[in-house]
Amino acid sequence: MKIIQVQNVVKRFGDYAASNNISFDVDQGSIFGLIGPNGAGKTTMIRMINNILFPDEGKIFLFGEPQQLSHQNQMGYLPEERGLYKKIKVLEQIIYFGQLKGLSRSEAQTNARFWLKNLDASDWENKKIEELSKGMQQKVQFITTILHNPKLLILDEPFSGFDPINADLLKSIILDLKSKGTTIILSTHIMEQAEQLCDDICLVNKGKKVLDGSIRDIKSGYGRDTILLEFEGDDSFISDIGDLKIINKTQNRVEFRYDSTKISLNDIMLKVMNKVQIDKLEVSAPSLHEIFIDVVSKQEVTSGK
Amino acid sequence: MANNSKIMTIIRHEYLTKVKSKGFIISTILGPLIILAFLGISVASSVLTQNSTEKKIAVLDRTNLKLDQKIILRDKDRFELPTSKSEDELQEQVLNEKIDGYLIIPDDFLQSAKVTVYTRGGGGIGFITLMEKHLNNIIRKERLIQNGTDTSVINMIDVSVDIGTKKITAKGTEKDYTEAYAGIGYILGFFIYIMMMLYGSLVMRSVIEEKANRIIEVIASSARPFEIMMGKVIGIGLVGMTQVTFWLVVGGILLASAGPIIMIFMPKPEVLAGGMQMAQVPQLPIDIPRIPISLILGFIFYFIAGYFIYSTLFAAVGSAVDQESDAAQLQTPVMLPIILPMMFMPAIMANPDGPLAVILSLIPFFTPILMIVRVAATNVPLWQIALSVVLLIGTFFGALWATSKIYRVGILMYGKKPKLSDLIKWIKLAK
Repeated sequence: MKIIQVQNVVKRFGDYAASNNISFDVDQGSIFGLIGPNGAGKTTMIRMINNILFPDEGKIFLFGEPQQLSHQNQMGYLPEERGLYKKIKVLEQIIYFGQLKGLSRSEAQTNARFWLKNLDASDWENKKIEELSKGMQQKVQFITTILHNPKLLILDEPFSGFDPINADLLKSIILDLKSKGTTIILSTHIMEQAEQLCDDICLVNKGKKVLDGSIRDIKSGYGRDTILLEFEGDDSFISDIGDLKIINKTQNRVEFRYDSTKISLNDIMLKVMNKVQIDKLEVSAPSLHEIFIDVVSKQEVTSGK
Repeated sequence: MANNSKIMTIIRHEYLTKVKSKGFIISTILGPLIILAFLGISVASSVLTQNSTEKKIAVLDRTNLKLDQKIILRDKDRFELPTSKSEDELQEQVLNEKIDGYLIIPDDFLQSAKVTVYTRGGGGIGFITLMEKHLNNIIRKERLIQNGTDTSVINMIDVSVDIGTKKITAKGTEKDYTEAYAGIGYILGFFIYIMMMLYGSLVMRSVIEEKANRIIEVIASSARPFEIMMGKVIGIGLVGMTQVTFWLVVGGILLASAGPIIMIFMPKPEVLAGGMQMAQVPQLPIDIPRIPISLILGFIFYFIAGYFIYSTLFAAVGSAVDQESDAAQLQTPVMLPIILPMMFMPAIMANPDGPLAVILSLIPFFTPILMIVRVAATNVPLWQIALSVVLLIGTFFGALWATSKIYRVGILMYGKKPKLSDLIKWIKLAK
């Protein structure tokens, strides 16, 4: 079942189209990545799905129905810019946001206590937000997002502001919610995160859709043309191999893509083996980041820019 | 879940967090003291201006009838004997501001009925009228005495009329408290002014808080912007009502218990009245006029209507800016129509039925403050009340229509400091 269907949505701010005829579908129970650089129009799309902004053209269907206000109670939203009432106590605050999503006071309180305990935060119940550290505030904010067990969870740059330990905790909660059937939209400009978590993605740039589909399909479409090599010895051999695209090069480590129509993997290996000692060799599909840059630069060439 | 439960949730949240805050508790206790101080200052300043119009006049009497003594007897504060008989020296004294002026009564005064007052200038019509009154009285008496009229006859006609005012109502005549009612009107108007300012800007600060702390986006994903704004306006309005109710109850208790206490310290009323009235039952020395129910209803209506109109305007201003310090410029056009009526207040109180009063009190943005003054001070024709109610309600819906659109666009706008013209653009932008 499609939880979200975005159909030819256009949203303009003055002369600028933050969403220029974008369409995509999101399957139930999947993690869907809305990916693109800052300013690509991700937040505008998310606000439209959340009933905060309204499309100028096109349609959005949620849970198989035309979008309506009552859908808000089934969605949880973590905006990129986080914010809580500084002077209000943690528990009161969580309960209020839960009530705004249609929970009764007692339901909200029960759920709030459950999640506070789950995140090792029970001691903070009666503290004001301004007394908490940034990381603790992030946890509280995340609880307000999932308190009402939303069917659809929309997370805008969820990992910003989390330290590595809490980021892992957050990741495990997201995967846990997914396994329970929650559909999750993840908006991020960090491609590695999307690669790790998402089933399907939609790449956007400057208000336009660049590419969409499952990560697996997209990557296999590109072939395994990326080589990661760790070696010992002089790195001058790299320039002798031929026409390569270097992605990353540090001491004793290089990552590059090759064009299989010009040179074969075997030929590359032969050239390497004669020059240096190989410590590690990995052949893979290009990273999402590479694919993104590839697609965007090709599109800009064809559109004459 | 029904949508109205969301607005109820927001109202409840706004109300409880504000009522429990330290600011509310402090302002509830200190508020009346501050208002009393304000009133004290305005009363003091009006008393001070009155005193400054009192002129000290030296009376140079060139008759031999001791008219100077008689004038001084009539108003010891104003008139005094000259320290010199020389006009030059008196002129000197005026220029040195030892006295404000001098009056020369020529020796043929009884025949010519002409005097001259020398001052540094002007003195106002009130001053001249007062002088005329005193001198008219004196010359009449003197002429009668000169013609040999009996003293008892003179005393008989030497009375001054005390005008008591009575109001005619359907139930008969009753004592008219024109001045007291005008005073009550001033207090009520002043009160509405303070509450619109305080609670309007409280709404604005609350909107800015949610925007500056980026809370608004989460709330906007849970409820309609209109519900968020109205929930806030109603919730904070109820806070205001709570505060007013508290003050009224405490004030009522204080007044009820203060009556007997004041009586103990005050001289008995019969002594005050110079033994003319022998009151059997001791009465409160201060005569408190009855406050008609229509005045209370009017106050409640104009207070609520004024609050709603201005708080939605303040909310729109709050939604447009990123932080409180940016609001100063935009809130001026909202605050101006609250402040202006206060400047017209004295004129309205002096002539609450005049065309100025009628026109100004029917301008909806001025109505809450000025109409309550008129309702208190005079009998406002029913059509004017009805018209003001219709205009206020219309203005409220107009303000609501415009501000809810500005709010919807404003809460998501960050960065550029908007101008008034931007807000008008937003009204068109929001469909």
